[in-house]
Amino acid sequence: MPFSRREFLQLLGLGAAGAALSGCAPLYTRLAGGPVSLTAWPDWQAEPDYPRLNRVTFGPTLAERAAVQEIGFAAWLEEQLAYETIDDRPADLRLRPYDLIEQDADYLLMWDPEEVQRPFKQAALLRRVYSQRQVYEMAVHFWTDHFNIAITKGDVWALKPADERQVIRRHALGNFADLLLASATSPAMLYYLDNQANVKSWPNENYAREVMELHTLGVDAGYTQADVMALARILTGWSVKERWMWGQFTFDESVHDDDDKEWLGETFAGEGQGDGETAIRHLATHPQTGRFLAIKLIRRFLADWPERDAPELVAKTAAAFNQSHGDIRAMLRLVLLDGLAAWPGPLPPKFKRPAEFMASALRQLPVETDGGRPLQAELAAMGQADYEWPTPDGPPDVADAWLRNLLPRWRFAVKLAHNEYQGTRWRWSDALLDGLDSPAALLDQLSHLLLGGPLDENGRQALLSALTPAQSNDLSLAAAALTAGILAAPAFQWR
Amino acid sequence: MTTPLTRRQFLQGMAAAAVITAWPGWMPRLAFAPPQTNPRGDALLVLFLRGAADALNMVVPHGEEAYYRARPTIGIARPDHTSAGEDSRVVDLDGFFGFHPALRPLLEPWQAGHLAIIHACGAPDDSRSHFKAMALMERGVEDERGPASGWVNRHLASYNTGNNSPIRAIGLGGGLPRSLYGAVPATAMRSIVDFHLSGDERRAAQMMTMLRGLHQTENELGQIGRETLGVIDTLSQLDPAAYIPRGGAVYPDSDFGYSLRQVAMLIKAEAGLEAAAIDLGGWDTHFGQGGSVGLMARLLDDLGQGLAAFHADMLDYMGQISVVVMSEFGRRVHENASLGTDHGHGTLMMMLGGHVTGGKILGNWPGLGDGLLFGPGDLAATTDYRDVLAELVRVRLNNTAVDQVFPSYQPIRQGFVY
Repeated sequence: MPFSRREFLQLLGLGAAGAALSGCAPLYTRLAGGPVSLTAWPDWQAEPDYPRLNRVTFGPTLAERAAVQEIGFAAWLEEQLAYETIDDRPADLRLRPYDLIEQDADYLLMWDPEEVQRPFKQAALLRRVYSQRQVYEMAVHFWTDHFNIAITKGDVWALKPADERQVIRRHALGNFADLLLASATSPAMLYYLDNQANVKSWPNENYAREVMELHTLGVDAGYTQADVMALARILTGWSVKERWMWGQFTFDESVHDDDDKEWLGETFAGEGQGDGETAIRHLATHPQTGRFLAIKLIRRFLADWPERDAPELVAKTAAAFNQSHGDIRAMLRLVLLDGLAAWPGPLPPKFKRPAEFMASALRQLPVETDGGRPLQAELAAMGQADYEWPTPDGPPDVADAWLRNLLPRWRFAVKLAHNEYQGTRWRWSDALLDGLDSPAALLDQLSHLLLGGPLDENGRQALLSALTPAQSNDLSLAAAALTAGILAAPAFQWR
Repeated sequence: MTTPLTRRQFLQGMAAAAVITAWPGWMPRLAFAPPQTNPRGDALLVLFLRGAADALNMVVPHGEEAYYRARPTIGIARPDHTSAGEDSRVVDLDGFFGFHPALRPLLEPWQAGHLAIIHACGAPDDSRSHFKAMALMERGVEDERGPASGWVNRHLASYNTGNNSPIRAIGLGGGLPRSLYGAVPATAMRSIVDFHLSGDERRAAQMMTMLRGLHQTENELGQIGRETLGVIDTLSQLDPAAYIPRGGAVYPDSDFGYSLRQVAMLIKAEAGLEAAAIDLGGWDTHFGQGGSVGLMARLLDDLGQGLAAFHADMLDYMGQISVVVMSEFGRRVHENASLGTDHGHGTLMMMLGGHVTGGKILGNWPGLGDGLLFGPGDLAATTDYRDVLAELVRVRLNNTAVDQVFPSYQPIRQGFVY
């Protein structure tokens, strides 16, 4: 808990003082507990839970590692699942300078798109790095991908911040039916998948298809092209306000098709918007949806190929979906406690996607960053710019899709280690070097910090033998080179 | 598999340089000249139009009355439609089909016999799901049971040319396309220009040393790391900034144009490129597709100008190049209310090269009239896309192991290439 009692009282005072201080960015930063820096090496002790902790965080910090050592992984997970009870004001305060994105879409639309997109992406990156609610933030990231919306299409950039707030973040660990209905009435989604143009005279099938294929049932669930067309008709008129209150959801009865429609063996007609709501709820509670979501959740936290590597867990998680009527937390509890925490032997490999790779470097070093444009550009080069995956399937979650783009990671490792990104700094106390008598000792400490254990012998030799004589004689010169080497090492690419 | 050039290769390169008097400055001083076990076929370039491109507005069947009935607003005016300006009319090719006006630049390769169009082709899958259709097509398989690797990679894996260049296969512009997944090394890159570690030179050199050491291990990531280092080494010998396309060819100022230009350079530099893939996104035009102008017209501008520039630049190499343009499926014949089109079935493929049956619309046109459409109102697919690709693999890439590239499929030879 980085808040001292004094800071806590200051914070309360700030609330009481109202908006008078709200322009004072340095105070936020100070109250947020920053800037962060490394002041002590992690204790050298066996950490059997490190690999598991690495799966449920964007890179475990020393505080998180200590907490797991103290109370155990299962108890720590329960704390994380009850995320509402975790005080996240330090992270909230870091986001205060970017609160433009809290505004309504019609206000954002008056801004330059870049002026909205940059803070929006900053907020995403900063949440991953600085939030104490790591499992919740991972769930947010999961649903952002699942309900992928590219802000590069039309005016979606002005609509997506509200979607992130009112759909994804509000329901990330809530009930799936609420989440799906919120998404189905989210202007950003309706605009992205053209449902604002889905009208009786000529239905537009785009959203209707993807809500079944990508959001709920999955492509091979047995529905037909006729079902897609029927659902499109059911959802005619689910639209976005154009002039007054631009960017709010609206049901436009004048273009809604209220004639009979046969969809998944049932007849829909005459209920207007209610027909669509019934259909969405039907999808949200369909057993096939439970199975589809179970596979994706397990893929996120445990294994690339859940049906092959964890078929029983898939079945149990899908059953939990049915029994709990779509309680996301109940599913996640199974995946994490019955699956991940109880997994016998080494975990199946998961390759860090770019967002995880970058966040883990920033968290574990640790780094003080504003998440600004230079880092966003690197994420784009690595292939995972926030909110820009063009197609509605969202960025893939298997190693095959990412393995062959290593160079941008290597470049990032060098530039980060040498503090070459504007707005991003890592620093440590040189006192840390005092007890160390060799580059090898420094390398081992850095490995323990970044990998939770020593680098393999081949890697150790590779890094140590590449040091110059000057670096070998002066550890403060060796630190950046060794850090770059570890961040680029194969071992750091897996989580 | 890092591939520093041997001294012998270096000397060979020097000898070659001595023969060609005006060795351009952008070329490596030494070409990749691996000992060959099998004769290398054409350099293959696969362009994938992601999102299901609307084949009917690319190569318009202007002789079909039904086309104009189905597309009252986004249909492209007949070539002889006098009240429409020339720029908004179909560019006639054979009295029945014609180019979208934005594809006019393709007339030159068409008239040179270097461009073939296979209309109404596609895959058996009729899920109309982008993601399923793309995955099956790029894997070159019938259904989920087929191999997970991509068809291009399986071609490279099943046909040993002895080429160990680190850039035997590349994906340009973003991630690695699925068609290149597999056992043969393939690297994704945004551009060859900045494919190196940036910053201070000594520091970059130290990092390269570290990276070589870190990736010695015999596992997948170790191997990929070594391959990536090999690509960096190879590309460091090129000077792309100094490259001048032949005959004043002008590539469009776009990611696509930029990628094509780099492929052209790599082929001319004989850097060992056998297969390249470039993705073009944005073709899922449910909304605001437009007609002779608009969203899709802009995409076609880029495509047409890019391919035409590539053709002009590579004219002397056409005999050793095969370009394929493909998309996962086509779009509904009837336009929707949002000036767009929904997911359909039959699509088209283009082939550019010196040995395509060019200047012709190939395939069997099924027609658009009553009773001729497929499913909810889509162009039928009368040619399996694998017939086209299998023939290309067999005839132009010299690979007889077509059954490994397209497993459990019996392709029909139709004379698309020779």
